[in-house]
Amino acid sequence: MTLELRYYIVPFVLALAVHAAAIMAAYVGWSPDREESRLIRPQMVNARLIVLVPPEVKPRQVVTPSVPDKIPEVKPEPEETVPEVVIEEPPLDLDEIRRTREREASETLLELLAESSFLEALQDEADDLARSDAADDEAIIAQTYRFGIYKLVVANWSRPPSARNNMEAKLLVELVPTGDVVSVTILEPSGNGAFDRSAEAAVRKARRFDVPVESRLFERYFRRFTLLFRPGDLLR
Amino acid sequence: MPEQISIIEIVANSGPLVLSVLAVLALASLASWVMIFQRWFFLRRVVNEMDEFEEHFWSGIDLRQLYSELDGQDDLIGIEKVFVAGFKEYSRLSEGSGADTEAIMQGAQRAMRVALTREEESLETHLAFLATVASTSPYVGLFGTVWGIMNSFRSLINMSQATLASVAPGISEALIATAMGLFAAIPALIGYNRFSARVDVLMKRYHAFSDELTGILHRAVHARG
Repeated sequence: MTLELRYYIVPFVLALAVHAAAIMAAYVGWSPDREESRLIRPQMVNARLIVLVPPEVKPRQVVTPSVPDKIPEVKPEPEETVPEVVIEEPPLDLDEIRRTREREASETLLELLAESSFLEALQDEADDLARSDAADDEAIIAQTYRFGIYKLVVANWSRPPSARNNMEAKLLVELVPTGDVVSVTILEPSGNGAFDRSAEAAVRKARRFDVPVESRLFERYFRRFTLLFRPGDLLR
Repeated sequence: MPEQISIIEIVANSGPLVLSVLAVLALASLASWVMIFQRWFFLRRVVNEMDEFEEHFWSGIDLRQLYSELDGQDDLIGIEKVFVAGFKEYSRLSEGSGADTEAIMQGAQRAMRVALTREEESLETHLAFLATVASTSPYVGLFGTVWGIMNSFRSLINMSQATLASVAPGISEALIATAMGLFAAIPALIGYNRFSARVDVLMKRYHAFSDELTGILHRAVHARG
């Protein structure tokens, strides 16, 4: 039972070594990958590329020769095979957002256009990045989320047979911070009940959208927003 | 993107109570590792000595000679002490003024029993400490964690909007205490289980040996008488 000190020297040194190794591991090894926290970056770059594709690029005619755009309009009515859903947020610059939204809507064209305008886009992208500030970043983040909402709504929309090209329905959507839809109201009906109901059903079916975690962003852009429904796929 | 904060930095910034819990746990962990290594070496040595001694004992050597070999040494360990204690008592009684055979055997057995108890005690040194660390340090760590979480939620009281970012640092800091408690407890628990199993095995061998020695001495007493 006598504690002879000499028997404890080697164990003590070994125990110190074990703990030093543990501290080293805590210091160097065990921190999570930093790449995870950057995941949002590529998304933003994508969104910018979409924005940067100018709607009046020549190949447009080549891609969709069968649809001559008869309606004279300032902004090009999309003739691609997806319905257009415009998401606006009331207090902000409506025009700007509508424009970006429509360019996003023409995303399917992007793949075809990408090659021709890629270098140009990259150049613009670099310029954009150079003059981006915090507010700009915020709008871009909001835009990427809006794009997600747009895709989800389109995926959930089933076109009623009575839908016509010139119909427009405006919906007011309210979300809670988890992204769940709490209410959908028709602000401006199109006049066609089936179309209105299908638009409303699309939002309800989506049930839950991906929204930013930061409450400030959420409150500003996603607490209440309006959705503009225009079918653009009648040729399909 | 903010720089990833290392665990060491979080620890350095934590509150005094969490810090002292961490210090206690670090000490407990260090001590238990010292005990683990010490016991490891000690038990290994005891087992080796035991193997050697049994081999020697059963090689047909004269017990009186074996006794005189061992009696002078002062670093006897384990089974050797049991043997020396039993045989010393036996020879002292049998050489003395004609004690009867029963008295001689009882004396030798008693001496061996005492030696066995001492040996058991020395084998089990520190095992109680390991058991204590294993069972209490998770609770100590939990205490630190609960305290830390309590504080980080209390800081939310005056905020109108609770965000994850305002509680996350406190919780992450507090959870380190639990991690530390487990870090101290797991090796201690493994060490305790392993060493107490080994002590059990050794004690069985000791008892078997002391019974065998009793038998041999018994035979010798009756052959003499």
